[in-house]
Amino acid sequence: MRGLRRAAAELEESVRIALSTLVGNRMRSALTTLGIVIGVTTVIAIVAVIQGLNSSFETQIQSFGAHTLYVSRWKWMNLSGDWWKYRNRKPIGEVELGAISRESSLALAVSPVIPLTAAAAAGEHSLSAVQLDGVGSEYLRANGGSVVAGRFLVEGDLEATSHAAVLGADVADHLFPGQAPEEVVGRRVTLSGHPFRVVGLMERRGRFLGMAMDNNVFLPYTTFGRLFGPKRPMYIAVAGPPGRLSELDDELTGILRRARQVAPGRADDFTLNRQEQFLKVYQGLTNALYGVAVGVGLITLVVGGIGIMNIMLVSVHERTREIGVRRALGARRSTILAQFLVESALVAALGGAIGTGLGLAIAEGVALTTPLAAAVKPSAVALGLGFSAATGLVFGTWPAWRAAHLDPVEALRYE
Amino acid sequence: MTSPELLSLQAITRHYQVGSEGVRALDGVSFEVRRGEWVAVVGQSGSGKSTLMNILGCLDTPTSGTYAIRGQDVRGLADDALADLRNREIGFVFQTFQLLPRSTALANVELPLVYRGVPRRERRERAESALRSVGLEDRMHHRPNELSGGQRQRVAMARALVGEPSLLLADEPTGNLDSATGEEIFRLLEGLHARGHTIVLVTHEPRLAARCPRAIRLMDGRIVADGAGREVALLGVTPAALA
Repeated sequence: MRGLRRAAAELEESVRIALSTLVGNRMRSALTTLGIVIGVTTVIAIVAVIQGLNSSFETQIQSFGAHTLYVSRWKWMNLSGDWWKYRNRKPIGEVELGAISRESSLALAVSPVIPLTAAAAAGEHSLSAVQLDGVGSEYLRANGGSVVAGRFLVEGDLEATSHAAVLGADVADHLFPGQAPEEVVGRRVTLSGHPFRVVGLMERRGRFLGMAMDNNVFLPYTTFGRLFGPKRPMYIAVAGPPGRLSELDDELTGILRRARQVAPGRADDFTLNRQEQFLKVYQGLTNALYGVAVGVGLITLVVGGIGIMNIMLVSVHERTREIGVRRALGARRSTILAQFLVESALVAALGGAIGTGLGLAIAEGVALTTPLAAAVKPSAVALGLGFSAATGLVFGTWPAWRAAHLDPVEALRYE
Repeated sequence: MTSPELLSLQAITRHYQVGSEGVRALDGVSFEVRRGEWVAVVGQSGSGKSTLMNILGCLDTPTSGTYAIRGQDVRGLADDALADLRNREIGFVFQTFQLLPRSTALANVELPLVYRGVPRRERRERAESALRSVGLEDRMHHRPNELSGGQRQRVAMARALVGEPSLLLADEPTGNLDSATGEEIFRLLEGLHARGHTIVLVTHEPRLAARCPRAIRLMDGRIVADGAGREVALLGVTPAALA
């Protein structure tokens, strides 16, 4: 009981002395904490932006294509440099589309996607490069997205090879500036020189991995084939029941091997891509960023810690006599040790607190002024504070140990 | 075990190694101090006064010999035990006051009680009454740099007394004060002695030692005289003793 009370009284005294030293040497304290402040600010800001990106990315991934396989000649996000392997594959086309539509029992929605970059114009407004996507009527169900005005393409558009177009939000903004979506429906547009009628407008989808998602125009893929040639490379979006993507994968693999006449024992000459692949590559990138942030943070913390150690050594030196007096009055070595550790931890934690505040402010600023989101988990704040206080403790140990092991006689005599 | 002696020193030696040379700061010092005694330790600089004071205050331990406070042998005590012993048994008064500059008079006086784990309220009350007893009730919340030399030494004495130690150890307490203020502090010591405090006063001034009931004279690390203050002090100033 007495020991506990003594420890509490000593801690109180340590904090009181540490605070009065901090306040008494404002300039020195500020400069000392600067290293820690910069380190923690950097880490918190970077982590906040990454966490913000991650959460918005994951929401987007889930909003479309989470249960979709994309049948393609190419493997998406393939960074291994063996692209020539895929180049020689037979293109995906009507044969595969027909086979999947007929044979798949799991597929809930199937749509081809044939992309082409072309010019678009309406009246005196024009765009030099929009992405024309020739798609089927089930595209929205297969790939996600919705219309805000008018309608999407229907089976009738495909059968009649009608010149119907559904505009992405950016395209509509540029070709019909300042007009309400309802007004745009029914208007004429020229796509790659061919006249089309607008039947619907897409809801804005934002950006995905830095790619604009609203710069598209959707056309019936049948019309697309007639105007731009039937042999264009296509990929096929196939949506399956939630949670059964692997079953869908197995089923499609069988269907496609038969349709493409792949001999038994030979490798597939097509790829079933998933949105997850983006997520994986993306997470790889953000993990690398995390690594950099943590590395930068650790380096600055070490530099800041050395600053603290230096100033604590100075402080111990200046207060040699005080240490002698305290020892004479009954302070144990551990008391002196604790006193200086409290002081260095307090200085560092103060820096950590300021750094956390600044980091959050910067992240907020980034979120407000750029399309990037920012989100900070409480754990990041706790980590910032914890790490800086720990830095103070670690780098304060040597000076505090020196203070605790001063000879009281020498310390009292010190001028 | 309780002995009538508060302090008991037997054949105390203290050797230092200075470079390659050994220095015998104390060389076989033996004496006893009873409870309630007032003893002056006199001698010229280099006589071993400071070393003796450090050993009496448990800031330093003897190379050989036995030093016991209230019958407890100090030799072999761990550093923590020595710190606790200082806290309980010794009240220090230094020539240079040794107050903590950033702390108020009250906080300075409370310090020994902090290290003893006395609860805050009781700490405050005892520190206030100690400051009142040295006549500083209106300076409690002043910092040392707002106090005169005499006031600072009073704060130091309040700090030395607040823990009710067995021994008040005063090292040249008037050395940094003008003679009038020094006299005030000395009167304060006389008052404490009258109230039964045990005091060891280390001084180089025969004038002060002469006013103490008992004095011990050190020379070259040995006791050369131990007796009534007046006699031992005067011994120091006769040309014959210096020869």
